[in-house]
Amino acid sequence: MDDYSNSDENWHFYEELIEDVDENKNIIQCISCGKCVGDCPASKVSNFNVRKVISKVLRGDKSVLNDSDIWYCYLCERCKRVCPKDNINIPLLIINLRNESFKKGYGPKYNDLRKYVEMSERFLKSGVVLDEPLGDKLPQERVNELNEICNFARVKYVFKASKDHKKSKKK
Amino acid sequence: MNTTNLALNLKEIEESYPESPINFFKNKKLCLFKACLEKYFPGVRYGIEDFLKDLELDVITCPNQSCCSGTFFQRNLITRAQFAAINERNLNEINRVADILLFSCNGCYNSLLRGREFLNSPEVKNKTEKILNQLKNKGKRDNYPGKYEILEDLNLKLIHDLDFFYLIRNSLVNSLKYDLKNLKVAVHYGCHYLNLSRDKDSIEDYLRPKTKLEDLITLFGGNPIDYQEKDSCCGWGASQLVLFEKSALKITFNKLKSAENVGADFLVTPCPTCLYTLSKPEYREKMKKWFGEKLDIPTIHLNELIAILRGCEQERCMSLQRTTPRLKEIFEIITND
Repeated sequence: MDDYSNSDENWHFYEELIEDVDENKNIIQCISCGKCVGDCPASKVSNFNVRKVISKVLRGDKSVLNDSDIWYCYLCERCKRVCPKDNINIPLLIINLRNESFKKGYGPKYNDLRKYVEMSERFLKSGVVLDEPLGDKLPQERVNELNEICNFARVKYVFKASKDHKKSKKK
Repeated sequence: MNTTNLALNLKEIEESYPESPINFFKNKKLCLFKACLEKYFPGVRYGIEDFLKDLELDVITCPNQSCCSGTFFQRNLITRAQFAAINERNLNEINRVADILLFSCNGCYNSLLRGREFLNSPEVKNKTEKILNQLKNKGKRDNYPGKYEILEDLNLKLIHDLDFFYLIRNSLVNSLKYDLKNLKVAVHYGCHYLNLSRDKDSIEDYLRPKTKLEDLITLFGGNPIDYQEKDSCCGWGASQLVLFEKSALKITFNKLKSAENVGADFLVTPCPTCLYTLSKPEYREKMKKWFGEKLDIPTIHLNELIAILRGCEQERCMSLQRTTPRLKEIFEIITND
């Protein structure tokens, strides 16, 4: 049985999420049919359960942000395809919830994302996620533009964290 | 503003060029979107590049194109507006030099379509505009001629390699030197081709099972074989494999095992990320360790397969860094006269 103890039974959470991403308003249409769960690759190998996530959001239960389950979504978009309702964008909701979770400090620690440090570093240095692209390299001026676009983005902090990590290693 | 209709309208081309859809692409500038993973699998790029050149089509890559950045968006490392700005930057650059943009990667294709969809939100659009304007101001100092803006009327149209090959399948089959000799082929479309919202305009297209890969395999003289896990994820799962390796590889294992169970000779996919997951030797070793069985079935990208069938040298059409068992064997079966 679901634990209802954290639930305020209110719409605040839902409204907050809509304020952030307008498309989230569509989740109100969810009829809990469970097609999303039945076709979900993550549900086969973890406790990730889209139906439960949506029902928690609609109840105003913010414990979902602190729940590791949302980090198991494969973002394969299968749920979005099989959903019988119009325009419920579950993958986008999950990305949005992860974002909120990050903001509250519940998300994966930078250390857990360490494999992203290298990818982020390469992206900000050369505009690709692997060492050397096949063919031409992106000109430096264009790489600078990417850095400008990514100002204040987490991708830069992961990068920074890696520098700090290297420094502390040298010490 | 028409932000969502970036995908090339295939039905229109079929109707206008019923005999030979390839004629639509003549006198147009084609650009190949550079997928990061093509570095590991150069045959994915060369497979289509060489083919287009042989057809005397005008094909280029854009030196100012960056990674699609989908991987960073999916991990919450950049915002929707930043993702859309990176996307618009690439679209601006490519729109200057080409009419048609082709994709060898499901992830890149999905990213570019999705980046545009985000602009339907006025808030994201405003933020994206703001970011691009900042670039414009900085760019004045760099004396860079064309700056970036959200293009209302984009000339550029997008097409996935699989849709392209299917559309021009008659010209394609005529260019092949070898056939698949009735080999049993398990097709893997990849989630970001199977579940594309681009198909949502027509509910029938959206729900109807996809068959283009099977149809191509049949045309190539192969035997497309159905298997239990055909529509399942490869296991990459927007980098789940990097974060939760064992559970993700269980999905990969189930997929490969299911294809082996029905006697498939190899898997074919139109996505280099799926190819990476389904063929990486290190992952095969780990699956053996964790799930007790060594799986031998090789995986080949559609573009590589076409290169093999066209008689391309092994070095050029398949990466030699890839040591999946039986890959060489498949190559030899196909190219043995």
